[in-house]
Amino acid sequence: MTSTPVPPSGESVAHGEGQHASHNLTGFIIFLCSESVIFLAFFSGYAILRLSALDWLPAGVDGLEWRMPLINTVVLVSSSLTMVVAEHFKGKEKIWLFRGFWLLTMAMGAYFLYGQAVEWSGLTFGFTSGTFGGTFYLLTGFHGLHVLTGILLMGLMLAKSFVPGNYNGGEEGVKATSLFWHFVDVIWIILFVLLYVWRA
Amino acid sequence: MTSTALSPEPPATWRRYFGFSTDAKVIGIQYIVVAFFFFLVGGLLAMIIRGELITPASDLVDRTVYNGLYTMHGTIMLFLFIFPVLNGLNNLLIPTMIGAPDMAFPRLNTAAFWLVPVFGILLIASFFVPSGPATSGWWSYPPVSLQNPLGQLINGEFLWVLAVALSGVSSIMGAVNFVTTILRMRAPGMGFFRMPVFCWTALAAQSLQLIGLPALTGGAVMLLLDLSVGTSFYRPEGGGDPVLYQHFFWFYSHPAVYVIILPVFGIFSELFPVYSRKPLFGYVYVCLASFIIVGLGLIVWVHHMFPSGVTQWMRNLFMVTTMLIAVPTGVKVFAWLGTLWRGKIRLTTPMLFCLGGLFNFVFAGITGVMLATVPIDIHVSNTYFVVGHFHYVIYGAAVMGIFAAIYHWFPKFTGRMPYEGLGKLHFLLTFVGANLNFLPMHPLGLMGMPRRVSSYDPEFAFWNVLASLGAFLLGVSIIPFLLNMISSWARGPRAPHNPWSAIGLEWLLPSPPAEDNFGEHVPTVISRPYGYGSGEPLVEHQAEIERALTLQEANR
Amino acid sequence: MTSSTPRRPGPVALAALAVWIGLLVFISLWVADQSLRWLPVQASNAAPLVDGLFSFETGVGTFVFLGVISVMGWVMLVHRAEKYDESDADPIEGNTRLEVIWTAIPFVLVMAIAWYAIQVSTELGVLGPMEHIHLRDAGEQQGGYPGDRLPAEQVEVVARQWSWEFRYPAQNVSSTELHLELDRPITFRLVSEDVLHGFFIPAFRLKQDVIPGRAIDFSLTPTRLGRYRLRDSQFSGTWFAANQADVVVETAADHAAWLKQAAAAPLQSGLSVASDEYAEHQRNPRGGWPTVVPAPPPQVNVPGSSSLPHDA
Repeated sequence: MTSTPVPPSGESVAHGEGQHASHNLTGFIIFLCSESVIFLAFFSGYAILRLSALDWLPAGVDGLEWRMPLINTVVLVSSSLTMVVAEHFKGKEKIWLFRGFWLLTMAMGAYFLYGQAVEWSGLTFGFTSGTFGGTFYLLTGFHGLHVLTGILLMGLMLAKSFVPGNYNGGEEGVKATSLFWHFVDVIWIILFVLLYVWRA
Repeated sequence: MTSTALSPEPPATWRRYFGFSTDAKVIGIQYIVVAFFFFLVGGLLAMIIRGELITPASDLVDRTVYNGLYTMHGTIMLFLFIFPVLNGLNNLLIPTMIGAPDMAFPRLNTAAFWLVPVFGILLIASFFVPSGPATSGWWSYPPVSLQNPLGQLINGEFLWVLAVALSGVSSIMGAVNFVTTILRMRAPGMGFFRMPVFCWTALAAQSLQLIGLPALTGGAVMLLLDLSVGTSFYRPEGGGDPVLYQHFFWFYSHPAVYVIILPVFGIFSELFPVYSRKPLFGYVYVCLASFIIVGLGLIVWVHHMFPSGVTQWMRNLFMVTTMLIAVPTGVKVFAWLGTLWRGKIRLTTPMLFCLGGLFNFVFAGITGVMLATVPIDIHVSNTYFVVGHFHYVIYGAAVMGIFAAIYHWFPKFTGRMPYEGLGKLHFLLTFVGANLNFLPMHPLGLMGMPRRVSSYDPEFAFWNVLASLGAFLLGVSIIPFLLNMISSWARGPRAPHNPWSAIGLEWLLPSPPAEDNFGEHVPTVISRPYGYGSGEPLVEHQAEIERALTLQEANR
Repeated sequence: MTSSTPRRPGPVALAALAVWIGLLVFISLWVADQSLRWLPVQASNAAPLVDGLFSFETGVGTFVFLGVISVMGWVMLVHRAEKYDESDADPIEGNTRLEVIWTAIPFVLVMAIAWYAIQVSTELGVLGPMEHIHLRDAGEQQGGYPGDRLPAEQVEVVARQWSWEFRYPAQNVSSTELHLELDRPITFRLVSEDVLHGFFIPAFRLKQDVIPGRAIDFSLTPTRLGRYRLRDSQFSGTWFAANQADVVVETAADHAAWLKQAAAAPLQSGLSVASDEYAEHQRNPRGGWPTVVPAPPPQVNVPGSSSLPHDA
């Protein structure tokens, strides 16, 4: 096909390769909205099962220990702040400070996962221990997968920051990762309330 | 004509349909062709189902086979035919209608498409595992779907859940892509209220996918864990709740019907103006009605569960929300009638399919209001009345609308004209076949014949024989369609850029369009769509563009 | 614009329109009346209510459908483009007043239907309260007759893959054929031992899913003597289609006699088409995929029959 000889229209066309980066962020936000519905589904499933259960806790289990998860929560929520600081330094083009805080955020995320693993290994109930065990591991596990994804994305962004001229064409990757990380944080706060704070 | 038709085309034009293309127009046709392959598979299963039901006894296939067949028929038709074929139309139409060179994420688009054959093969493979395919219906309600008589890890239900989950991933990838493309890549001057209604309905439908599908995915993950790992989210003996799954399932699967029917409303809204030579009546209302349907569509799902044991106030609430959907839908139907009124009607093949589709849709809408009514629903839910109702929606309205779209836009994307005679024969067989097949299901349901039965009491025989004859007629109706598509694509007359004198950006492209559509020369939109009879140009420099296209056609 | 304002319809056209609408109303009323014959006989006090609502909606629906089809037919006959006429029609883009009218009319119409349906629902609710009781453990629903917990007039319905068992705790009778007394309200306690089932008697117009892990109380009043079919309405696996039972509505005297006779009868295997077919398949395998093995037929006083002619 030859291109149609068409008289050039007024202003220059508002799309093309240069614009694709901003599409990425739009697409990512749309995806995150959609992803939040999965969590919403799990949350509502948890609430319905819990509210309609006759014996919520399996025999021999009397609730979840909340002190260590609380420390974990504080670490994870603070990591959102360190990420904001990292982004702030990137805005000021202090690239090494950005990398430092970015790495700190990753470390805090990793600590959260470690804490989660320690908690899991100390529990007396399993995935198949009724709906209590099932929902607990499903919610924390699915969230944990998101934390892991977030850390991997941050690693990727950190590696990319060493590519010369990486931030000339835009910074959507960092923005998207940071959005994702805040999303994971917010989900955790809801999760923490549902799993640890909500007492029968 | 004959000399140009025989001129060899560059080989790349057909080879690219068999590879990993990132061109939305190629992917669109790939979607449609793959979807019709599965349409034939699903249709074959329907023929066996109707063969079994032509007699009251369970005598053609074993009961387990029957259950597998109807489960796979529903699953294939929904996840492997109708969603892919609509995504195919989205791929063809959205970029060309809004003047974008391609989708926002071409590689994501490729990946979303190639998942379709993957989960298609996964689903078909379940026929060949020792347990046989899933047999618990496309709803896959636990606990019956969790029963795994052979106890093997790889069983039909396992493959079914996996296929549905992959289909969800593919649909989400598609939805992110379509929504981003519509939001960000419209031609200069094309505000939302200058956008063709098909794009409005696609935006509405894909938004529903984004909101609804994750709920099904979440529910399916829990089903898979119950089935394979031994959790008890839905197992009553472990404290689980089987009805919880129904909420997850219908929270998506009712809106899924709007995902299917909204783009078909879009097709009607595009085609009625073209073949009535009149603007779409009440364009703005039609656009907004789609989003009212989205909003209401998300809060009606419990009407599928009236007999499952929901409280009275919930029944009444969901009945009212369901009935309210009749209002925006009615606005659309009346808008189409207003478009037809005092128009200059041309009964071409696409127009016949639209009119037939509208006829069936109005009928389905009326039985839909009946089904929303709690006391009537209690009697007819899970009977053939429901089967008749949704086949009127899905086959009678949606599939006929899709055929209309295929005949209408075939010249644009293949560069060839489809044959009118075969098209009209196809319409006649489809319209008669669909009504003969699905109308008798309503009396059957009212009499109390449950759906999904492999045998039935003899008093239901008469209507079942009629339905089966209609089904076989529908089976025959696909032959002229396939003949038409293959022969006209191979050696049909060359299509001009605008064979139907339609108004729209896609008709200002050559047939078939170049890979990047308008490339650097996207025209600026200066008026509303459907300006039939007003003489107003749609875009700046329209006359020059059309002259150039005509010149180019004369020279080829 | 002035040239394209719609011509005012003349008196002849208006009269023809009125006649046509009158004809449609007449046809709709006739179809509404006919629609009662599409349904099975009315054998419960719920049936007339449901049928009245159905007839009403059929009438309204017929009128709407015929109205839309009339417009479609008219434009196809009258507004067809002449051959070789390539011109466009008048560019009528819309009419806000019309839009408002045809938004309001469906709204009023469906809300009227909803109001009527809620009235019927409420009345049905009074007739048959439906109550869920969560069983503390699944074992409670099995074994013995929980006569101590159930009011005497209650019938316990046990759904299985694939048989229906009916227990009359007061008389210590069990059966695979449901016998009910005419004009006497009856409360069922629906339980399932395995998967979802649907308790559906078309002649009664009532349906309720039976959910494992829950006991559901469900009431109705049979109002017509006869033999009817109870069908499983929620897909339950391989022999779902064969999971049916007969419902016999009889006079008080007959019912008492039946209960007395049944109490004296020895326990025997109840009706289970699934078990019979499964045994036959074991003897002569005819292909197919693996299936859940049917539960053994319940041991009952009265197996009943599924081959007698039924009224609906």
